[in-house]
Amino acid sequence: MKIMKKILAALAVGASLAFAAPPAWAHAFLDHASPAVGSTVPATPSVVTLWFTQDLELAFSTVTVSDKAGQRVDLGNAQVPPGQPAELQVGLKKLPRGTYTVQWHVVSVDTHTTDGHFTFDVGGR
Amino acid sequence: MNAADAFIVVARTLHFAACVSLTGVFAFECLVAGRTLRANDAEFGDGFGRRRRVSVLAWASLALALVSGAAWLAGVAAHMSGEPLGELKSSTIAIVLTETRVGKDWLVRLALALLLGACLIAWKRRAHWSAAIGWAAFGLSALLLVTLAWAGHGAADEGINGNIHLAADLLHLLAVGIWLGGLVPFALMMTAVQYVGDQGAVGIARTATRRFSAIAVTSVGVLLASGVVNTLYLSGNVPALLGTPYGQLLLLKIALFVAMLSVAAINRVRLTAHLDADSRAWQAIPQLRRNALIESAIGLGVLAIVGQLGILPPGLHTEPVWPLPFRIDPNALPTGDKILSAVLVVGFCACAVLVIVALAGRRKWLLGASVAGLIPCVAFAAPPLRRAIEPAYPTTYFASPVPYDAAAVVRGAAIYAQNCAVCHGADGRGNGSAAASLPTKPADLTKPHLFAHNVGDLYWWVGHGLGGVMPAFEARLTPTDRWNVIQFIRAHAAGVLAKSVGPEVTGAAAPQVLDFAFEIHGAQDTLSQTLQNGPVLLILYSRPVPDARLRQLAAEKRRLAAGGLTVIPVGPREIRNSSSREAKPPYVVGVSADVEKALALFRSAGDGGETEVMLDRNRNIRARWTASGPRSLAPPNVLIADAQRAARFAVAAPNHAGHGG
Repeated sequence: MKIMKKILAALAVGASLAFAAPPAWAHAFLDHASPAVGSTVPATPSVVTLWFTQDLELAFSTVTVSDKAGQRVDLGNAQVPPGQPAELQVGLKKLPRGTYTVQWHVVSVDTHTTDGHFTFDVGGR
Repeated sequence: MNAADAFIVVARTLHFAACVSLTGVFAFECLVAGRTLRANDAEFGDGFGRRRRVSVLAWASLALALVSGAAWLAGVAAHMSGEPLGELKSSTIAIVLTETRVGKDWLVRLALALLLGACLIAWKRRAHWSAAIGWAAFGLSALLLVTLAWAGHGAADEGINGNIHLAADLLHLLAVGIWLGGLVPFALMMTAVQYVGDQGAVGIARTATRRFSAIAVTSVGVLLASGVVNTLYLSGNVPALLGTPYGQLLLLKIALFVAMLSVAAINRVRLTAHLDADSRAWQAIPQLRRNALIESAIGLGVLAIVGQLGILPPGLHTEPVWPLPFRIDPNALPTGDKILSAVLVVGFCACAVLVIVALAGRRKWLLGASVAGLIPCVAFAAPPLRRAIEPAYPTTYFASPVPYDAAAVVRGAAIYAQNCAVCHGADGRGNGSAAASLPTKPADLTKPHLFAHNVGDLYWWVGHGLGGVMPAFEARLTPTDRWNVIQFIRAHAAGVLAKSVGPEVTGAAAPQVLDFAFEIHGAQDTLSQTLQNGPVLLILYSRPVPDARLRQLAAEKRRLAAGGLTVIPVGPREIRNSSSREAKPPYVVGVSADVEKALALFRSAGDGGETEVMLDRNRNIRARWTASGPRSLAPPNVLIADAQRAARFAVAAPNHAGHGG
């Protein structure tokens, strides 16, 4: 019996060695955005929405939008919409034609931080 | 590792150790000591300082749990807010405690710890063992331990898989608490037995050892099973295991676990038997005690690794640096050989564990048998595995950080023309102007074999050269440019390969179309986003506009959509921009010049002005028709049937390295 148990244990050790691997880490990465990353939109969208791969902690998550000169053009009202814990939204001022940079820094519910940025154009290049 | 990380690692390690110890103490009291002593001599358990020592251990563990838990939370608050640890504001900690998930979890755990303290006080006031208090304390300490599952990545997953993963995490922690945490109380029991030193004490040692051994074996079984389930859910792989710091630490953890099992095997196979023989019992008891403490020390090492694993950068986001000059590619083997070598590898592991068991138990016949078992495993597995060996490079398992899209392919095409075409040829067939003078013919980059190589291999060859003939481009091309040119080579080869795809949907290896953005009805979309809704019929056309065909499909648009098929026709820009009648084909899809150029790779000169391809959800070309082909373009009902066939191909796992941002 003991030997059988040991054999089973041995098989399990072998299996765990074969399958053991680092976890798919739960950081919140940007999944997609609206306006889309690198896209061109005809007119000013009312909000920028970012969809992340993980639920966020609003208390420590920020998103800002700035123009080429580095001036903030968002309304500073970043929020995680109710019932959408993996989304981050911020309102925009009326924007003239140009390229805008969205900069985000988020903390996921498992306390990991990530950040990044992307641009979009208003009114064609 | 910086100081802030080191602080969190130490806090995590101590907190895990404290919670494991608390669970172990009460598990041992409830499952081993309480019953053993009732079965023998109830007074024994409280005598000779055992109860006092157990009590000190419990109080010390609880104090450590509180201090290390607070330190851990402070470290996490500093990390989340970006404030340095020394300048952490109390308002930040208040926000963490009240507004974040981790803070709320920590408040719950603080309440559990305080209740546990109340149990300890109640326990101290009683002269004798109380089962009610013991079980309450066991339950609270177990909750304190298993709620740590939420402190890690357990918080991340959702859905049924997340629940199974979480359940495995909970069981894993509970089993660690009962087994690893129970080792020190077990050693304290053996100390008391030695103090008493009479025949009755040997009886107690026997019973306690049997009982503890039984729950230890169960716990190890649970640890193995939950460990396997966890790792199955964690979607890692061998390269990540061998090539990332995270994976290497995990291997070290498994090695330490095997070392603990080896010591445990000595206890169970040899020393437990000695306890039954009166002549050897008094030698076995101190040895059991010593081994339990050795196991605890190794276990503390395992916990230190766990403490470290929790803060390491994401395993799948650091590209694995492959440490070996070769890799074993089981896909290169026929199925029979694949199964044979898998069975033999498992057999090898089984024999290796039996060798350890035989050594632990000093069983010569078992040692002989298991060593003899290793030989055929090696002898029969070696020949097929040798055939599966492929050369490998540090970058073999790198994923491209540059997406397989039109922008990359167009940039890559320019780089290819400047740097590669002179040898590999403008059409990629290895017939460039310099090719004739080379000792080895440059590789034909249009062969399906190209796709048998990992992109990481191609990346290495572009950077470092190959076989002393191909030069290294590391100094001339930036990493991004190297990836761009690889994406172009892939698109080009896929385009060549696409020409052999017929009008029937089959499971044969299918070339992949690059991703591209387009505009429809003033809104932006991408091919990959569209494919999330189901298969796509991609139509690539030039002048004259295949007006009748586009009108036919436009008229059936609703039926096609109901059948799960989206049609994306891409034509020349000047048609969309001109104002003639021709300017209004029924579908108007706008694409950039880059997209037009890149998609041209997927047409052939003699397609009669139009190529149609059926894409499965992985962007693979499953069927292809041309206006000039022997079987002309498919009618809508055939397209719907084909779309349903194409929809059956499972969606490939997302490529984590491809994430934007």
